[in-house]
Amino acid sequence: MESLGDEPWDVVICGTGLQQSLLALALSRSKKRILHTDPNDYYGQNEAALTLQDAESFAAKHAGGASSEVDEKKNVVRNAAVWKPDDAEAQGLKFPRAYSLALAPQIIHTKSKLLSSLVSSRAYRQVEFLAVGSFFVYEPAKDGSDPKLSRIPSSREDVFSSQSIPARSKRSLMKFLKFVLDFKSDDQRPIWEGHADSPLTDFLTAQFKLEDDLKRYVVALTMALDGKASVRSGLAAINRHLTSMGTFGPGFCAVYPKWGGLSEVAQVACRAGAVGGGIYMLDTSATVKPCSENAKASLELSNDITVEASSIIFGQDTTTGAEAISRLVAVVKSPLNSLFQVLVEGAPTPAVAVVALPSAPSPIYALVHSSDTGECPVGQCVVYLTTLATAESKHGLEQALAMLVKAVEGEESTVPCLYQLYYEQAIGDRKSTTENHGTSPAFSFPPLSASLAFEDSDLEAVKTAWSLILGDESDEETYLVFEDREGADAEDEVYE
Amino acid sequence: MADSAGAPRPSSSVKLVLLGEAAVGKSSLVLRFVNNDFQENKEPTIGAAFLTQKCNLPTRTIKFEIWDTAGQERFASLAPMYYRNAQAALVVYDLTKPTSLIKAKHWVAELQRQASPGIVIALVGNKLDLTNASAAAGGNSEEEDEESGGAAGGDGGDESGDARKISTEEAKTYAEEESLLFFETSAKTGHNVSEVFTAIANAIPETSLKSTRGPGASNAVSRGGDEQRVNLTGPRGDAAKDSCAC
Repeated sequence: MESLGDEPWDVVICGTGLQQSLLALALSRSKKRILHTDPNDYYGQNEAALTLQDAESFAAKHAGGASSEVDEKKNVVRNAAVWKPDDAEAQGLKFPRAYSLALAPQIIHTKSKLLSSLVSSRAYRQVEFLAVGSFFVYEPAKDGSDPKLSRIPSSREDVFSSQSIPARSKRSLMKFLKFVLDFKSDDQRPIWEGHADSPLTDFLTAQFKLEDDLKRYVVALTMALDGKASVRSGLAAINRHLTSMGTFGPGFCAVYPKWGGLSEVAQVACRAGAVGGGIYMLDTSATVKPCSENAKASLELSNDITVEASSIIFGQDTTTGAEAISRLVAVVKSPLNSLFQVLVEGAPTPAVAVVALPSAPSPIYALVHSSDTGECPVGQCVVYLTTLATAESKHGLEQALAMLVKAVEGEESTVPCLYQLYYEQAIGDRKSTTENHGTSPAFSFPPLSASLAFEDSDLEAVKTAWSLILGDESDEETYLVFEDREGADAEDEVYE
Repeated sequence: MADSAGAPRPSSSVKLVLLGEAAVGKSSLVLRFVNNDFQENKEPTIGAAFLTQKCNLPTRTIKFEIWDTAGQERFASLAPMYYRNAQAALVVYDLTKPTSLIKAKHWVAELQRQASPGIVIALVGNKLDLTNASAAAGGNSEEEDEESGGAAGGDGGDESGDARKISTEEAKTYAEEESLLFFETSAKTGHNVSEVFTAIANAIPETSLKSTRGPGASNAVSRGGDEQRVNLTGPRGDAAKDSCAC
């Protein structure tokens, strides 16, 4: 092993979660000397994409419950377990590296700051983005008909052409959509501000006379995990959904990075850090050593090297919050093709579908990924189910998976589930912290928000850390705004 | 590479990744290939994301997108995204340094595990200018003979002026066993450098060039093809792409 101890590091970043990685990207042109480590032998931490082998070690590492040794704090990831049928391979499970299970399968709205930052920092060139297609609501069996998935119309054209909505309801829905598009304007504010904190469903009934079916569509589109969006947050979520449509092409409002979601963004950001001169060490954990008040902090690495750092960055792996989400990642042996239809001319083939399933006490959301995501072999799908954690939530997710598959493939179908990864993830208080070790500040990123769509608020801590490290040198104008490096030209595939 | 005045040839992008121990001359080989340049005592790679260079073959043009490790190989920390969709790899060792061939074999194994099946791998022994063979080598390349001779004398340390520690035979046998292309090069004199890239370009199967990206066939054949890719620089970019209608 080469020596590292002599380097006076400006920053030691511990962990390659999305936020730490974006920080490395943000600092990649700063001339700061950066050492970036991760205790795992893969990139991404809680936003990683795991092979089946990685999934097993992840589950073993996080098998424990909520309690941790430290004070009142709770582990961010807990109760993890993997499962597969005894004859999984015979049923079609391929080799472990054929899978890339995303721990952070968030969809990214086209208007998200994450995307504009990736573009302005030129990191986007190395990520392949795929379209998120239709949103569905699970309709239980009624009047003798089988359960089915109803597609939510998500644009005005879509509402017009919908066969399943009666004309009168269409008018109320159109009125509502028009209102949401403009809900922050002075004209519209008075309509909702008085009810900002009341439930959205009540508001939909009172203001727009929406019927139950349509209300379920609207509520599903908010993607609120508790199913109880307030007027304020619900309108903001639906506005984001509608205004994101068409930004990068017709027919989709969000994108997903191929090969494992935010993991891919973390890897690309770390590569940019390395290209800028940062040193990368996976499979290496770091602990702060006690130091005197007026000395720089020292970190002891698991390979027995001790390094000095002017500032240190961590990610929090414990939290004080009690709330958590349950996640079930399931590989199913069916392409579930009907979920990935191209519905608008010129739209890219979607690789992700969103399904809302009714459940008590909170709804269950499924993000269904086709093999186009590169997360599973052709002929299979990866289904990411999420709900608020309760004692029963694991069972609830398993049931929802079965319901979803039957609704797509028919009641009689026997589509096997080839592999499952279950875990719970604390929602946490989502506050970054800074403490001092000697003269070195140590900044800790909070866990990412638990929502189904990437939240731009998760980017704020990255900028805070960036300003902390650069101090007087930090110039807002240059934050994540870079020129292309030599050779990275955009022209492509032309005859000469 | 000769210019042909004839009809335009079909052009395809090929992702090529560099691998090998630190300081064997990975970046120098690329610098020689891309800019026909060499820097003595080059610092470890900083600031090179990737470089592009066209390679004209009689029937087609290959545009190499050459990815540098950016130093992430030093502590075994290359990310899966680095290998992903690579259609070619240059695994470099320093033929004056025995450990570097061991390391190279490790990278070949890693590629066989991680990369797309069908990837073209070239094993390259660099720093030929530090060996006796450099005299012969220098004869082939153009104007840099003198400089090369000087370096061999200066850095070689061996009385004969030959710092070679890995025989051509040893490396070649290994390359044949693993079905790798094999070359000994000098990034310093330029000897054999463009030959490596031309050989790689020739070895890439026509079938894997049809798609813009990667053979990747084993893992996820996209049903939608390339048009499912979302262009983040906006729909305008898509329109421009359509109009090219190749």
